[in-house]
Amino acid sequence: MSVVVSFENVGLRYGLGPEVLRDISLNLEAGSFHFLIGASGAGKSSLLRLMYLAQRPSRGLISLFGRDISTLPRRELPALRRRIGVVFQNFRLLPQLSAFDNVALPLRVVGVKQSEIHRHVEELLSWVGLRDHLDAKPATLSGGQQQRVAIARAIISRPKILFADEPTGNVDNQIAARILHLFDELNKLGTTIVIATHNEALIRKSGRPVLHLEDGVIRSAADDADAGASADDSPAARLATENGRHT
Amino acid sequence: MTHRQRAWPPKTGGTRKMAIGRSAIPFGSDDASRFLPWMLAFMVYLAALAVAGLFILADVTDKFDRGIENTLTIQIPVSDSTLSDDRKVAAVLARLRRTLGIERAEALSRSQVAGLLKPWLGATAASGQLPLPRVIDVTVDRGKGFRVETVRGALEPIVPGIVIDDHGAWLGDFLAAVRGAEMIAIAVVFLICLITVIMVIFTTRTGLGLHRETIEIMHFVGARDSYVARQFALRFSLMGFKGALIGLAIAVPTLLLLSVIAKNSGIGLIPDFELTTAAWVSIASTVPASSLIAMMTARATVIKSLTQMV
Repeated sequence: MSVVVSFENVGLRYGLGPEVLRDISLNLEAGSFHFLIGASGAGKSSLLRLMYLAQRPSRGLISLFGRDISTLPRRELPALRRRIGVVFQNFRLLPQLSAFDNVALPLRVVGVKQSEIHRHVEELLSWVGLRDHLDAKPATLSGGQQQRVAIARAIISRPKILFADEPTGNVDNQIAARILHLFDELNKLGTTIVIATHNEALIRKSGRPVLHLEDGVIRSAADDADAGASADDSPAARLATENGRHT
Repeated sequence: MTHRQRAWPPKTGGTRKMAIGRSAIPFGSDDASRFLPWMLAFMVYLAALAVAGLFILADVTDKFDRGIENTLTIQIPVSDSTLSDDRKVAAVLARLRRTLGIERAEALSRSQVAGLLKPWLGATAASGQLPLPRVIDVTVDRGKGFRVETVRGALEPIVPGIVIDDHGAWLGDFLAAVRGAEMIAIAVVFLICLITVIMVIFTTRTGLGLHRETIEIMHFVGARDSYVARQFALRFSLMGFKGALIGLAIAVPTLLLLSVIAKNSGIGLIPDFELTTAAWVSIASTVPASSLIAMMTARATVIKSLTQMV
C-alpha cells in the first residue's frame, strides 16, 4: 500500500521556544486507521497541525501524498488540503453561518453546484442526526451537536485523509459509537484516518493501532511493551503493544 | 450508510454561487467596513466637485482661447463734444486700416459699449447720463508683422491719451493661471483616488485581522487565496458603490445650487456654471470608478497579505 503521510526526523518549535516535537518519524499507509494518544501537552495537537498543513516543521521532512510539503509552493496547498478533512478539538465552526452553510463550505470553495450541495449536505446532516437543525447557528447547538456539524464539514468532500482531534470529547457513548462507526465506514471506503483522543474505551473497542506521543516524541511499540511489562499497564500502552508497529 | 451508493463526493466545476448575503466572512460585524461607505461618500463628493471644476475651467480656457487672443480694444477718452469723438473715431479707423497686421477694425456703438458695462454699472450705463468712452474692436494677425508699439506710435498723435488694450498680452498670463488651476483640479482628483486606495488598504487589512479565524478555516477546507480575495473584493465593491451613490446624491444638488447662484449673481466675471453632458457623465462615472478602485485595491491587498499566512 502507498504511504500517504510520511515524517522523517521532524522537529517543531514555536518561535524561539523549546522543541515541542522531536525527531518524529512515521509512515501512514493509505487506508490505515490510527489513534494518536498522549498526555496533555505531549504534542498531539502540534503533530496534527503539521499533518493537516496548518504548520510547517522547523526541521525534517514531511510528505503528504508523496509531495514534500516543505518545498511545496503555497499556491499548491489548497489542492492538497481538499484531500484532507479536519475535525478540530474546539470545532471551529463559523458562528455566523448555519449548520448547513458550515457543512457546505468545503463544497462551495471548490464550486460545486448549489443543487448538489443541498442534496449532499442535507443527507449528511440527516445521517449525523441533525436533519432538524439545518438552519441553526452554532451558538444555538449543544456541544455534541456542534461536534457532529464539525465532523460533517470534515467529511462532506470525502477526504483521502481525515484528522480528528478529540472527536468524541463532547458526545455521549451512543453518539460516540455512531461517530466511530462513521469513521469506520469512511475507512472502509479508503480514507486514511488519524484520531487524537483520550477516550480509552473508544480505542479498546476499535482495536486499531496506536501512535503514542510522549514529551514530543513518538514512543515505539517496544517502549510501550517494556513499560507494560514493568509498571505501565495503561490501556493505551496495552493497545500500542497489541497493535505492534504503527506503520 | 447511504453515502456509499451515492455519487459522493459531488463533482466539482459547477456554477459558483456564493451569494452576497451568505458570505462565509461576517463583514457586517466589523466597524471598519461599516464606516468605509461614508468615507468613500465624502471622497466621491470632493471628486465630483473637482471634476465639475475641471470642466468649467476647461470651458473658460476654450472660450478665451478662441475668442480674444488676437484682438485689441482701443479706447478713445471722453471729450466734451460727441462730434469731436466721432471725428476721432473715424481718424483712428482710417489710420488703423493702413497699419501692418491689422485685419479688421470696427467701432462699437454707444449702446454696445453700454451693454458691455452693464454688469458693472447696471441700467445706469444705458441711460445716456454717463459719459462713455468710444471703443474700437480690432482683430490682428500677429504673423503679419503686427506690433502694438507701432500702433500706439501711429495713434497717439491723432488722439493724445488713447488707450490700447492688447488682449493677447494679458490673456497669456490669464490662461496660464487657468491652466494651473486645471492642473490643481486634476491633482486633487488623483489625490482623492490615492486617499481612497489608502483607506481601502487599511480597512481591508483590519478586516483580514478581524476575520483571520474564518479565513484560516476557509483555507483548511481548501479555499484558494483568490476565493477569499473574491469575497473581500465583492464586499468592498458594494461598499464603494454605496458610498459613491451617497456622495453623488449630495454633489449633484451642490453643483445645481452653485449654478443657480452663479446665474443670479449678475456678475459677468463669474464663468457660466453650465455643465455639459460630458461633464455630467464624468461626474456620474465617479460611482463605478469608486466601486472599481475599492474592489481592485481590496483584492490586491488580500492576495498580498494572505501570502504571509501558512
